[in-house]
Amino acid sequence: MREHLPIIIFLIPFFSAICMPMVGAKSVRWCRPIALLAVFAMCVPAVVNLVLVLTEGETRYAFGGWPISGSTSSAPLGIEWVNDRLASIMIVALSAIASLCLIYSGPVSPRSLGRQVVLYYTLILMLITSLTGIIFAGDLFNIFVFLELAALSGYALVGVAGDRALIASFRYLILGTLGATFYLLGVVFFYATTGTLNMADLAQQLADKPDLLTNKAVIGGTTFMFIGLGIKMALFPLHGWLPGAYTRAPDAISPMLAALMTKVSLYAWVRIMFWVLGAKAEFGQVHLLTLLGIFGAIAAVVGALLALSQHDVKRMFAYGGISHVGLILIGVSQGNETAFAGSMFYLINDAAMQAGLFFIAGVAIYHHPTRTIENLSSLRNGSPWIIATLIILAMSMIGIPPTGGFFGKWHIILGAIEAQNYWAVAAIIIATILTMAYFQRLFVRIFSEPEMPADAEKVETHFALRFSIAATSIVVIAMGICSDPIIRVFRDVAQSAGLGAN
Amino acid sequence: MINPHDSVIVRTMSRMLIPLIQLFALYVLFFGQYGPGGGFVGGVMLGTSLILGILVYGRDGVPCRAARKLMHGDGVGLIIFAGVGGICLVMGGQFLNYSSLEIPLADDARRRYLGILMTQIGVAVDIAVTAISIVFSLSPINDTEDTEPSRD
Repeated sequence: MREHLPIIIFLIPFFSAICMPMVGAKSVRWCRPIALLAVFAMCVPAVVNLVLVLTEGETRYAFGGWPISGSTSSAPLGIEWVNDRLASIMIVALSAIASLCLIYSGPVSPRSLGRQVVLYYTLILMLITSLTGIIFAGDLFNIFVFLELAALSGYALVGVAGDRALIASFRYLILGTLGATFYLLGVVFFYATTGTLNMADLAQQLADKPDLLTNKAVIGGTTFMFIGLGIKMALFPLHGWLPGAYTRAPDAISPMLAALMTKVSLYAWVRIMFWVLGAKAEFGQVHLLTLLGIFGAIAAVVGALLALSQHDVKRMFAYGGISHVGLILIGVSQGNETAFAGSMFYLINDAAMQAGLFFIAGVAIYHHPTRTIENLSSLRNGSPWIIATLIILAMSMIGIPPTGGFFGKWHIILGAIEAQNYWAVAAIIIATILTMAYFQRLFVRIFSEPEMPADAEKVETHFALRFSIAATSIVVIAMGICSDPIIRVFRDVAQSAGLGAN
Repeated sequence: MINPHDSVIVRTMSRMLIPLIQLFALYVLFFGQYGPGGGFVGGVMLGTSLILGILVYGRDGVPCRAARKLMHGDGVGLIIFAGVGGICLVMGGQFLNYSSLEIPLADDARRRYLGILMTQIGVAVDIAVTAISIVFSLSPINDTEDTEPSRD
């Protein structure tokens, strides 16, 4: 039973998604409860799976009983899913954040949908399903399939609001398809040289034949895969689609996309980087990790700079997300376990933070019709807890204890000092100062306004919105307080990825 | 707006062709185990035969009404696919491990054959519905009838 847990986690949202059109044909009102039930039901096996993996070790799932990388008798013919510590933690984060986003999406979901609401919930569940697939995937081609599936649901969901969202969605479609194409091209190059797509088998071949790494096809394939996933994770020069898509997407959707899409693509790259190419991969004297660190540093600083110059709240948070992708890449690229553990911790923490920030931006639009920073002081009419949560999330974004953001950043900086990459430390500190600056702008607007007119109406925030916003702030603080055991698990993960103290 | 075609030749020819296409689609679907073909191709052909009917007989013709009914079963194909996989799971094998299907009077190879056939039927149904739904989305035919076409 135990080894079937990954597929059970996957089948819950998948089955609900494909049953949705039939249920919807009977009655539209059932769609939302079913979607909610599916994500809640997904959380249970995800947590059980995490506990089992932590106590009893990883498992690998062979679809259809075909031989996979672990079997000695023959080459890995079948589709393989890897259920190791990193994947199981990511799955718990995914299902928890997806549940929060779905709870939140109730009151703010687009009104003009009519009967199309059936398709809307089908797409949301399909998005969650495919992200599960990316996290578990144990071969390169499966990552492509699920990446494409997630992106297709994403394009449609961004465009749901109609009007200007359609333009943003079309832009996202063009760039996202380009990214997927590049990724597939890279996979084909790998397949042509090694004859296998299974990650573990590929890693074995690359370890056995070191001259493969100087092969032009492998170098080209890696480059293409990185560019493809770089577009998906919105790494700085390739981020063009992200701000528009997240700003124009319906308020119910942007938290989910912001929290999950880029992070899972980043996770896919981490998988390929450390579990296929190996941490010490070098291409023609250039250490691959050093290159990644430079990209990350540029993205972290420029993303924060761009965020500083925005007027639209959602757009500002979107650029903040771009900056944080850079930050995580810096941590991943330091080549030691401290920074790796810190950045994986930060990745999960960032997913919660991004979800929370977009929740608040959505509340600002829904209850106090304002999109711009200039009018944000109207948030003071609402529940004081909204602003309190914004302060907690800002603390985490900047990196002030006891929030999770601090501990992630702290370990990344420690790792960078350990690796003696002082420019990386400098980049992180500059990005932090810039983050502080753009939150400063936000808070100055909120608090410096003169007293509200006494006749200003108090706005009661909807319960679902309050609940999900409070939950993210609790998660961020809890991540900070429990950071020690989580980071210890990630240190073990880093050691299994070949990043041990050497 | 799709109007019925008024040429006698086109209407008569498609009346003869549509069943033929459907028959060939079934052949391709079931022959997929031994030769070129399978669920995807068979499904595309099934879908195309209905699309031809929609184009020729218009929105009030039998094919169009049948297709509109069919659209309610959007996910049936996938349910067949995932259902067969799920039965394998319930019967103790891995997902899609057909050899664990408890089919009476069938050895291992036969079980795999039947399992693949069933999932391919699911794929075919799904592809056919998808092909029709593309036609509906691109044409102003309203596939649900009971709602106003939204213009935004």
